Amino acid sequence: MLTVTDLSKRHPNAVRAVFDELAFAVAAGEIVALVGESGVGKSTLLNCIAGLEPADRGAILIGREARDIVRLDEAARAALRAASIGFVFQAFHVLPTLTVAQNIAVPLLLSGLAPGEHQARIEALLARVGLAGFAQRWPPSLSGGELQRVAIARALVHRPALILADEPTGNLDPRTADEVLALLLERVREEHASALIVTHSQHVAQRCDRILTLTPDGLQ
Amino acid sequence: MRRRSFLLTPLLLPALAAAGHAVRYAAASRSTRLAFPRDHGAHPEFRTEWWYVTGALELPERDMGFQLTFFRSRPGRAETLRSPIAASQILFAHAAVTRPGAGLLHAERAARANLGAGFSATDCDVHIGAWQMQRGGAGPDQSLRLAVHDAAFAFELLLKPTQALLLQGDGGWSQKGPQPALASHYVSWPQLQVSGSVTLDGRRQAATGRAWFDHEWSSEVLGPGSVGWDWIGINLVDGGALMAFRIRDGAGASVYAHAALRAADGRLTQFGADEVGFTPLRHWTSPRNGASYPVQMEIRCGPHRIRTAPVHDDQEISTHRPLPISYWEGLVIIEGTLGGRGYLEMTGYANSMNL
Amino acid sequence: MTRLAWWLIRAQFMTRRTATALSMLAIALGVALGYAIHLINTAALADFSQAMKSVQGEPDAVLAAKDSAGRVPLALINEIARDPAVAIVAPVIETRVRVDHAAIHSGAPVKLIGLDIFSAAAVMPKLLPRQDSGGAGMFEDGVHASPALLARLQLKVGAGVTLTRGAARWRTRIVGDLPAARPDDLLLVADIAWVQARFGPPDAVSEGRLRLMPGTRLASWLETWTARLPAGLTLRAAADDTQRVSNISRAYRVNLNVLALVALLTGAFLVFATQLTAVAQRSTQFALLGVLGLSPRMRLLQVLFEGLAIGVPGAALGLALGYGLALAFTRVMGGDLGGGFFSGSTPVIAARLLPSLSFFALGCAASLAGALYPAWLNRVQPLAQALKTGFAQRPPAVHGLYARPRRSVLIASALLPLAALGLTRLPALDGLPLAGYGAIALVLVLGIAVAPLLTQIVFGAVARRALSAPQRVAVQNIVQAPLMAQVAASGLIVSFALTVSMVTMVSSFRLAVDQWLDAVLPAPLYVRSKGMPLPQELLAALERGAAPFARIERSAHGALSLDPQRPAVVLLVREMRRADAAARLPFTGPVVAVATDRVPVWISEPMQELYRLAPGQTLRLPLLGREVDTVIGGVWRDYSRQFGAVVIASDDYIALGGQFEVSDLALWPRRGEEAAAKAWLAAHAAGYGLDIAESSEIRALSLSIFDKSFAVTYALEAAAMLIGLFGLAVTLAASVWLRARELATLSALGFDRAMLTRAVMFEGALIAGIGLGLGLACGIAIGAILTHVVNPQAFHWRMELTVPWLQVLLGAALTLAAGIAASRFAARLATRLPAAQVLASAQ
Repeated sequence: MLTVTDLSKRHPNAVRAVFDELAFAVAAGEIVALVGESGVGKSTLLNCIAGLEPADRGAILIGREARDIVRLDEAARAALRAASIGFVFQAFHVLPTLTVAQNIAVPLLLSGLAPGEHQARIEALLARVGLAGFAQRWPPSLSGGELQRVAIARALVHRPALILADEPTGNLDPRTADEVLALLLERVREEHASALIVTHSQHVAQRCDRILTLTPDGLQ
Repeated sequence: MRRRSFLLTPLLLPALAAAGHAVRYAAASRSTRLAFPRDHGAHPEFRTEWWYVTGALELPERDMGFQLTFFRSRPGRAETLRSPIAASQILFAHAAVTRPGAGLLHAERAARANLGAGFSATDCDVHIGAWQMQRGGAGPDQSLRLAVHDAAFAFELLLKPTQALLLQGDGGWSQKGPQPALASHYVSWPQLQVSGSVTLDGRRQAATGRAWFDHEWSSEVLGPGSVGWDWIGINLVDGGALMAFRIRDGAGASVYAHAALRAADGRLTQFGADEVGFTPLRHWTSPRNGASYPVQMEIRCGPHRIRTAPVHDDQEISTHRPLPISYWEGLVIIEGTLGGRGYLEMTGYANSMNL
Repeated sequence: MTRLAWWLIRAQFMTRRTATALSMLAIALGVALGYAIHLINTAALADFSQAMKSVQGEPDAVLAAKDSAGRVPLALINEIARDPAVAIVAPVIETRVRVDHAAIHSGAPVKLIGLDIFSAAAVMPKLLPRQDSGGAGMFEDGVHASPALLARLQLKVGAGVTLTRGAARWRTRIVGDLPAARPDDLLLVADIAWVQARFGPPDAVSEGRLRLMPGTRLASWLETWTARLPAGLTLRAAADDTQRVSNISRAYRVNLNVLALVALLTGAFLVFATQLTAVAQRSTQFALLGVLGLSPRMRLLQVLFEGLAIGVPGAALGLALGYGLALAFTRVMGGDLGGGFFSGSTPVIAARLLPSLSFFALGCAASLAGALYPAWLNRVQPLAQALKTGFAQRPPAVHGLYARPRRSVLIASALLPLAALGLTRLPALDGLPLAGYGAIALVLVLGIAVAPLLTQIVFGAVARRALSAPQRVAVQNIVQAPLMAQVAASGLIVSFALTVSMVTMVSSFRLAVDQWLDAVLPAPLYVRSKGMPLPQELLAALERGAAPFARIERSAHGALSLDPQRPAVVLLVREMRRADAAARLPFTGPVVAVATDRVPVWISEPMQELYRLAPGQTLRLPLLGREVDTVIGGVWRDYSRQFGAVVIASDDYIALGGQFEVSDLALWPRRGEEAAAKAWLAAHAAGYGLDIAESSEIRALSLSIFDKSFAVTYALEAAAMLIGLFGLAVTLAASVWLRARELATLSALGFDRAMLTRAVMFEGALIAGIGLGLGLACGIAIGAILTHVVNPQAFHWRMELTVPWLQVLLGAALTLAAGIAASRFAARLATRLPAAQVLASAQ
């Protein structure tokens, strides 16, 4: 579901490359943790995979159709993200001016699906993330753990092939972090999606299927 | 004869209906000797006067009828007002063209003398704007010029006499009713040779034909009980000329009638009231007002019996300003003991001509 | 996708109610003003031309004298009637008379139209008398009165009346009414011959109104006849009359519309400020949506949609407001917008689809234009960075534009004033001061363009000096984050510049009018009769020794048509000696001595401008039915007759054969007999419907009319200032909000709330100071353009530039105070956020 080959990236005017000729793959239904020290380029790699930063060389094939996001223009990258990728962020990024249900419906709208037909799925997902009855709530009234559960539901609602998660538990207290992580892994497996989870936490990494460690010399 | 004075009424009714109370009009007098060209000119001391040309054309189309009439009216208004444009003398003009089978076009104009219109008192020269009837030349070279311009049609014609003037009645004094007071001065000029041009549908074409000129002036109105009249003037094919009229009462009976026949050799025969008769043969009903006109008539003048056949049934003229007035006036073919083409006028069928 | 757009728009409106409502209101105001001006003027014009048509009818061409005292000879009417191309000539005699019936007096003179029923029936059907008005008809002694006149005089058909004009008198009867006359027409109609016999002109008429045969080419026909016309007569296409009426108010209307456009522009600016801050505040949200897959095109469109969502209801509200405004205005004030051209009418406001749609579209366009730059900024935000750190004030594409004044900015700043100066030298285009308006726009652009440069120079210098900590924070902010500062400043620049310029122009004009009134109203008392000579009785009584006046100056008016395309020039015949001219008229330049065998005339400033004349020049005037060569003795200032006026001495006018029909009097009462003089006048002028006024009354009335006509501009100034201030508050609040993290850091480092508030207020004061300073400079420049370029070109009069410093500086001080208050509000908003939360959420 994600295949990275020969990926190289250098920041403008930088002496050293961020990474050079990276290659790895995440199989369908596989959950992979990406760990590494601060500044090693985990976020840049994630941005490249999401098409938010251009890669210098290489290919990133995403989804069941294995489209190479490196070769797409901006609009097509956005369309590919909308169709094939679900995102979970450290800072939750739940839109404060939309209700919980509306927030979850956003990916459906962006991939051109009518949310009305998916009302049941949104309700079901909310129940599955432990937020039954939260549909009409406004985000400012939710706790951090609840917000991240909303984000997980949003990441899965349009059945993406790939979930990208960036420190999904970084802003949560340990107990909530545990609950949310369990929920995330459970739901990803349930939806048969692939996932790449960037994390500092050994605890998080060990609960994934496989661990990739990014070092200045490449992947290990 | 005041057969056409009704034409004045639609425009003048509000102004003229009560006219004449304090004005002394000249009266037609049997003793008056007419002199020309002076008497071709206007007689403003009389109440009404008209110059009237009707004719039948060969070109641009056979049996195309045309007419141009100028009326002068002295309504007896503003007689003492010291202004060059006082409405004491008013002119009206009426022009029409009949195309056989196609119908009748007509137009009219009105103006007071000195304000867009004028007349001469010494010769026939009368105009309203660019519409004009003017006599010129002397003896055999004399002619009448007619000019009419309207949106729908125009004509400019030159009329040359082929015969002498015909002074109707007694040397131009023509009795119009049983009472001798009802009379006019009446001069006709039949068998005029027509040349010039007619413009129809924006196309100007050469014109030739024969015409009839009438000039008549009087001060008296219809006698009581009369509702209208039938009148005809015919250029006969043999070069002769016949004029006949009758005045009708409300029942359609003749109140008065008269006719005059001048043969090609100049011999003049006059027919009295008992020798003239009008008998309807066929009626045409106007779709506009339902009036029924005897468009085919048998006219009896002494020994002569002639029948009228219109070149077009609908030669009715209607005006609506301000009161609706309708009458029939058009070209007819004459058959019977005499042959020719003439203009027939029938009034009082749609409305009574009570002035 | 549209559902998402709609959710976002709704969310935006819910969270920013005040800003959205105010932006809408500003757009609505602009649309409403423009639309109302359009509606009122269209209605007034339609009313005027209908009134004209009801009296003049609908001829194809009009034959008339160039001089209002002139006439068309009957012979010419009769000659032109015989042209085959002419269908009808309707001759008319028009005059004004006083109507008296026993003790009832008409007061103001009434128009008497003499017509010929035969020709009028087709050309002027609205003037025809009732058909059934007895048998008397049109040709006899009698007049027909319009229903409005009958009602006003409380007379019935059949009443005997006396009509008087000067020495001429007609005792007659009202024999009928005019059923087709308009409800407010005060008219008498009679047969033309009767009017001529009683009031003249002998052997002539006032006008011939012509209908041509169908198919006649009007232009070439007019040309042919114009070449044959005797001197002093003119033949014009009647269709031009409507155009000429429209031209009368054109310059004034354009001025008002420019003001409406200014309102609309300020609306666009407000949308700009609102949307820019909205984009900045939601940059993280938009970045998230971008990451989730919202296409770049949609990120651009979304902001435009939001602009449109402000524009559509704003424009709709504007249409409704404008319609209501027009309706209320015409009910209360009539159809006159203050220019004095259509006074006295109560036109019917009618909304037409196409113009309404245009104004609606204009409002939408203004809001779209305002949203354009914010939308583009939103489109180019780098997603990953924006998601992490929020709004980038300097998007990559414009990076460096504000960092250092580029050479191109410097060159533009140098070229713009030159271009503006060049535009002020250009003449009027098509009678409108379009180049002047262009110069004004350039000055505003220049002001805005110079703002960042000035900000950096001034505050760069300030920053190098020893400052307290809050001051340093404030100065640093402006120097480093100039976009918000510039938005806030440019709003103030534009609104303050417009206000200063308007105040300057109006006060210059008012001062000039004030001085001019002194010069043109030398006598203590004035008597005027509208449109007809003064009654003979009054003039005779004044001649007698018993009248308590030391001096009397008589004058008469006429009108001369010098150019068929332009409104007529006013002819003033004044009782004065040539040598006195300099003392009698407010000359703008030297007075030329004119040879005794030549006829001197003195022309007004508008006439000089319109016809490009100069003192000493020979001027051929169509006087009294012929062309008379006169010499221009000088040019005098005139603020009342926009289309020109020419003065001739009454002796010269009489020597030329003119009739001196006195209609105006200037009176100097004998010393000590002022009260007696007024009483004498009141007694002698009673019932004639004359205007009697003291010079102080005329003066007060003139100035109040002046103030009324500029009421609209005052309202607009206030609106512009409010919008400018609001823009300042919105942008300041937004910039504080964007720096919440920075402020929180400062507070964590030991800044207390008071210090932070002071820093923000200082920042607001600095921005307002820059805006007001530049606004003042631009405002004075624009004021100079308005007085020296726009006024002479649009209205053909000149005046001195006077800057009302007290008002301007007071306004600046008030605005500064308001600006500081606005920034205090913004600061409180920011400092209320708990520092820890801000710092935590912005990792």
